[in-house]
Amino acid sequence: MGPTSRETWAQRLGTFRASPSTFMAGPEGEDLGRHLLSDLRSEKLSEPTKVSLVALSLEYPAQLWPDAPAAEVAATSLLDTLVLLPPRPSALRRPLLLAATTALAAGGALGPTSRASRRLLPLLLGLASGRDLGRSFGPASEQRPLQATAWECLRELESCKPGLLGGCLGLLRGLLGQEAAVQPLSLLLALALRNALVIQARARAGLQGLLVAGDCPTEGGPWNWMLAEEGDAHLQPQAPSWPAAEEGECCLATLELSPEEARELRAAVAQLLDISYLLTPVAQAQLLWLLGWALRGLRGQPPVLFKPQLVRLLGTAQLTLLHAVLALKAAFGEALFTAQDEALLLRRLILAAQHPALPLPAHLFYLHCLLNFPENWPLGPAGEEAAPLLLGSQLCRGLLPSLLHDPMALLARLHLLCLLCVEDEEKEEKGQDQSPRQYLEELLAGLRQRAALDGGPRALATLCFQASYLVARCLAGHPVVLTPLTHGLAQLYRARPALAPHFVDLLDRVGPELGEPLKVVLRQEVVSRPGRDEALRWHLQMLARVADGDAQSATLGFLQVAAARCTDWGLQQALLQVCRALLRAGVGGGLADLLQALARQLEDPDGRDHARLYYILLAHLEEPKLGVALGPSLAAPALASSLVAENQGFAAALMVQEAPAPIRLSMGPHRAKGPVPVLQLQVEVLEQVYSLELRFRVERQLYAPLGAVHVPCLCPGRPTRPLLLPLQPRRPAPARLAVRALYTTPSGLTCHAHLPPLLVNFADLFLPFPQPPEGAKLGFFEELWDSCLPKGTESRLWCPLGPHGLEALVSRHLEPFVVVAQPPTSYLIAIRLPPDSRLLLRLEAAQADGVPVALRTDDWAVLPLVGDYLRGLSAAG
Amino acid sequence: MAQRAVWLISHEPGSPLCGTVRFSRRYPTVEKRAKVFNGASYVPVPEDGPFLKALLFELRLLRDDKDFSESRDSCSHINKTSIYALPIGGEELWPVVAFMKNGMIYACVPLVEQTLSPRPPLISISGISQGFELLFGVQGFLYSGQKNDSELNTKLSQLPDLLLQACPFGTLLDANLQNSLDSINFASVTHPQKQPTWKAGTYKGKPQVSISITEKVKSMQYDKQDIADTWQVIGVVTCKCDLEGSMPNVTISLSLPTNGSPLQDILVHPCVTSLDSAILTSSSIDAADDSAFSGPYKFPLTPPLESFNLCYYTSQVPVPPILGFYQVKEEEVQLKITVNLKLHESVKNSFEFCEARIPFYNRGPVTHVEYKVSFGQLEVFREKSLLIWNIGQKFPKSMEISLSGTVTFGAKSHEKQPFDQICIGGTAYLKLHFRILDYTLTGCYADQHSVQVFASGKPKISTYRKLISSDYYIWNSKAPAPVTYGSLSL
Repeated sequence: MGPTSRETWAQRLGTFRASPSTFMAGPEGEDLGRHLLSDLRSEKLSEPTKVSLVALSLEYPAQLWPDAPAAEVAATSLLDTLVLLPPRPSALRRPLLLAATTALAAGGALGPTSRASRRLLPLLLGLASGRDLGRSFGPASEQRPLQATAWECLRELESCKPGLLGGCLGLLRGLLGQEAAVQPLSLLLALALRNALVIQARARAGLQGLLVAGDCPTEGGPWNWMLAEEGDAHLQPQAPSWPAAEEGECCLATLELSPEEARELRAAVAQLLDISYLLTPVAQAQLLWLLGWALRGLRGQPPVLFKPQLVRLLGTAQLTLLHAVLALKAAFGEALFTAQDEALLLRRLILAAQHPALPLPAHLFYLHCLLNFPENWPLGPAGEEAAPLLLGSQLCRGLLPSLLHDPMALLARLHLLCLLCVEDEEKEEKGQDQSPRQYLEELLAGLRQRAALDGGPRALATLCFQASYLVARCLAGHPVVLTPLTHGLAQLYRARPALAPHFVDLLDRVGPELGEPLKVVLRQEVVSRPGRDEALRWHLQMLARVADGDAQSATLGFLQVAAARCTDWGLQQALLQVCRALLRAGVGGGLADLLQALARQLEDPDGRDHARLYYILLAHLEEPKLGVALGPSLAAPALASSLVAENQGFAAALMVQEAPAPIRLSMGPHRAKGPVPVLQLQVEVLEQVYSLELRFRVERQLYAPLGAVHVPCLCPGRPTRPLLLPLQPRRPAPARLAVRALYTTPSGLTCHAHLPPLLVNFADLFLPFPQPPEGAKLGFFEELWDSCLPKGTESRLWCPLGPHGLEALVSRHLEPFVVVAQPPTSYLIAIRLPPDSRLLLRLEAAQADGVPVALRTDDWAVLPLVGDYLRGLSAAG
Repeated sequence: MAQRAVWLISHEPGSPLCGTVRFSRRYPTVEKRAKVFNGASYVPVPEDGPFLKALLFELRLLRDDKDFSESRDSCSHINKTSIYALPIGGEELWPVVAFMKNGMIYACVPLVEQTLSPRPPLISISGISQGFELLFGVQGFLYSGQKNDSELNTKLSQLPDLLLQACPFGTLLDANLQNSLDSINFASVTHPQKQPTWKAGTYKGKPQVSISITEKVKSMQYDKQDIADTWQVIGVVTCKCDLEGSMPNVTISLSLPTNGSPLQDILVHPCVTSLDSAILTSSSIDAADDSAFSGPYKFPLTPPLESFNLCYYTSQVPVPPILGFYQVKEEEVQLKITVNLKLHESVKNSFEFCEARIPFYNRGPVTHVEYKVSFGQLEVFREKSLLIWNIGQKFPKSMEISLSGTVTFGAKSHEKQPFDQICIGGTAYLKLHFRILDYTLTGCYADQHSVQVFASGKPKISTYRKLISSDYYIWNSKAPAPVTYGSLSL
């Protein structure tokens, strides 16, 4: 395929930029990268077109060459194109250098095994350091911009692969003294220095002469990848955010520098700072962030090196410079800024936050900095916005909000004002000055007045509610502020009921300190003066949010009057919403009358049905259930009839629902007493439940059906008594009990859950015989022993003994059933097996590893169970 | 400390999308770092389309605001800085630095070199201030000397090349894009050593230095017992130094006459090499006293090639240049107004122009005006509900002039008449516009002897001064007026 024409490319690039993903998914997507590279060498395309192609590759290398091998191929091709350019001036050289660098760095191909990397790095270093690279690198006029570009490319590569230029620190330092390209060189040196320090600290090595070494690879020579390989695992933040940096800094403290290395390092930093004035302000700021955080935590590197720069920097209006000073402040604190310096910095910040010569976004950012000011000795909790200690209301006078401010500025300044009000209340009221609190009240009143303006833009109303929310949040514990605010908002509602959605939103978001009183006054506001017709909609919306059990008669009275005026579907629904809110709140009698009336009188059938449904619910459900049934429905109501949507909610709320088990049951210790075996069940409570009913089903009907166990209430964390479950075995055999739980949640839902089955072991059924009187024991046993035959059966077993011997085994497992004991060698044991079997054991002549057991039972079916039981005893310990 | 992407978006309220992306630039190497640093909290930079939509919505520029929309109008959705979180495809892109100026939206996404959950405080992210500088730089370039749309389009078309120079990999090298443009043009000149980066080349030609001081005065006058009037002077000193040599040293001094008002809140250009601590500490934050530093204000510097703002200052002069009162009384369908203005005797009575604009907001069109002026002429703009009292070049000998009259309004129709969120009910103002050449209110001046140049040749030094009004309001004293904290606490 031949080269594409200029027009085709222009059109193709346009389509690509409009949506790269769509383009790449289309028919031309796959080959775009390849075509671009080949057409860069076409002689038919003009230079501007080629520049636009390279520009595309600068922005979208990941789309053009999606993996590392493709990126490697692309970088190689770009470098070939660069080398093949004729020696006349060309606008392509700089972009090609940038593009090759971008392709390698963004494509993840940069590394010692990449041929393109091995070509690009020495080329860049050669161009940057002004080495003669022959005529192929264009006319002399292009050398200077190419040189600066090469430095920038190297810096980007060092950013993406920290340590890459660690071997060139000495060379860079040497060049800094002579080179014209002060800025790119300074920034690269600072970055490479910082990265080298961090990597060496991680490896617990010193600087190892890196700062003075002058050997650097020439073209074709091997590049030193050692430091980059070591640093590879960790991309280095160049200007880490403070909290993160503070965590990572222990790393630098481990760096051991020899006195000579420390001196060299200091000299390098001082050299960089001395010429920093020659850099553009943004570059100066970068240098300060880099060096500040490079030296923080490093032993023997005093921050006073920065001091000479500070006065000059504090005088400027440049956002980046003042920000960099704040970063130094955060990095070094008192070590660089005395209390006086701190006060001066704070003043400059206050000044900058209100200086008429600066733009609004800068003001707002400075205000943010003020409330997050890195104080030498912060008092409040970290990470929370607060006014610095030195910032009194006197200093803040110019930073307080007024109605003339832009909304963002007003809110930011309002926040500060709220913080001052808190402080102000803590201090004594001052005489002549107007208190910030009064000012706050007047400001809020002004905002409300604007919001009340009929037909005014919604943004004004939004601003008023944002301000009210902010005040309610900052001054929640200050009724002296909240009371007038509550009444002011009620007045605002009276003036403009159309703001009801804003009020509902505010009530949903503020805490009870403002929310509760506001609810009360708004309800009064609505029910005390039946609104004009157009306001009725808003009144009903408002009432649906604020109606509760209080002031029932007034509310119901209002609704009765309103019902007559609810002529359209929307109003009727709004009215029913209020009824619904009242139902939830547990309002009874009067509401039933109203609902009945509505079910007859509403014009709309949907409305009538709705009213009837509510009436039925009210008549048939008890209060808590009603609350849950009418609670917010999880099902998104997407249906035309609100009744159907609502029914979905009820279905969920009124039916018994399957739920994960709220408790965990386990077998407690065996109780060997009483007429029947009784299981002791231990309960672990996972969530709070009420009216718990546990139902048990015996598998294979081995026992008689079991009664349910009832527990009124269970709370997690509160101790519970074990539950007793009497068993009535039909046969003496182990069994599985299936368990279900039926209960009510704290929110009133009825749920049921399947619990894991419980296993009743053979031994759980053991009961002792009544103890015969002393002296008659042996006879009692022998009588039992003899009675087993001939109906029953006799057997002999070997019971293995654990290390503790027979005595321990008996005392642990068989104690309640022992009739005659002659420790440590002989025990006669009688066990009752409900319903009416017996098991008799003679344990005699115990040996070291076991005891022979003679047994008799009147139920031959238990023999295998006994065998298993006895053999299991030693294992059970 | 780098940017992941930059956008320029023109806000077009009538169009279907409400805006167009005029320029965008992505930085893939930075994006790759963002992916590593942000880890699980990484959100990729979106394509232009989704970004445009999300940003316009967040800035409340997308739709009309007839109905309450929770995601936009909720009271807890509070932005106190120009830094936003944009919901895009179920995730939130943060931090997005964005602001609108002259119908153009400037936006960028700075790199954050750590995880984004929890979000680190903005103050600790170096890319934030850099992003702002980049956007301010682009804005400054687009609007410096720009007069019409075609010039704007030319400048927009230069942006890709300029950013390739000033921000090739997403790390900003120079916020002064004009300087980048110059350095492309100066590229052929070989530089001597130690040329500042912010100086693209060297000047060849006749040495000359020009210094111009522009003061703006703003005021809020209430004519009320319990509210103090306020006024403030804001000065800017603009210089252009055409001097040979790579780093000529210049010291410019600003002086005050004996009764001059001290300069405060001084912010200097970064080319100023050192600052007297008295300059650094003289501030309007502190209560005024007689010991305030009153100059001369010396600024040693190495000038850049282009014209630059040497410093900004504010000052508190003892009296406002024009003191006035404005009274409005509502009488059925008409308003009865009275205005009185008095020029202070110390002020130079020679204006380039001077006029009072008297707007009437939130009312219908003016249907009838009856008036009497002691001086000057009154123009009536009926549809705009505006009166302009043209005072001319000079106040009369008495220094005091007055206007009284009645204004009648027609029925209010929302579309045509101006709306104002402040002027509700009786709240109303008049605004003064005036300019006086060769004069400063503080008295601040720079004369030929105050400039020292350490460079070859004796330069020609020219100095200029002017005073302009800015936000000079006189409020109706018969109704409430918006006040600042300063007006109440005096």
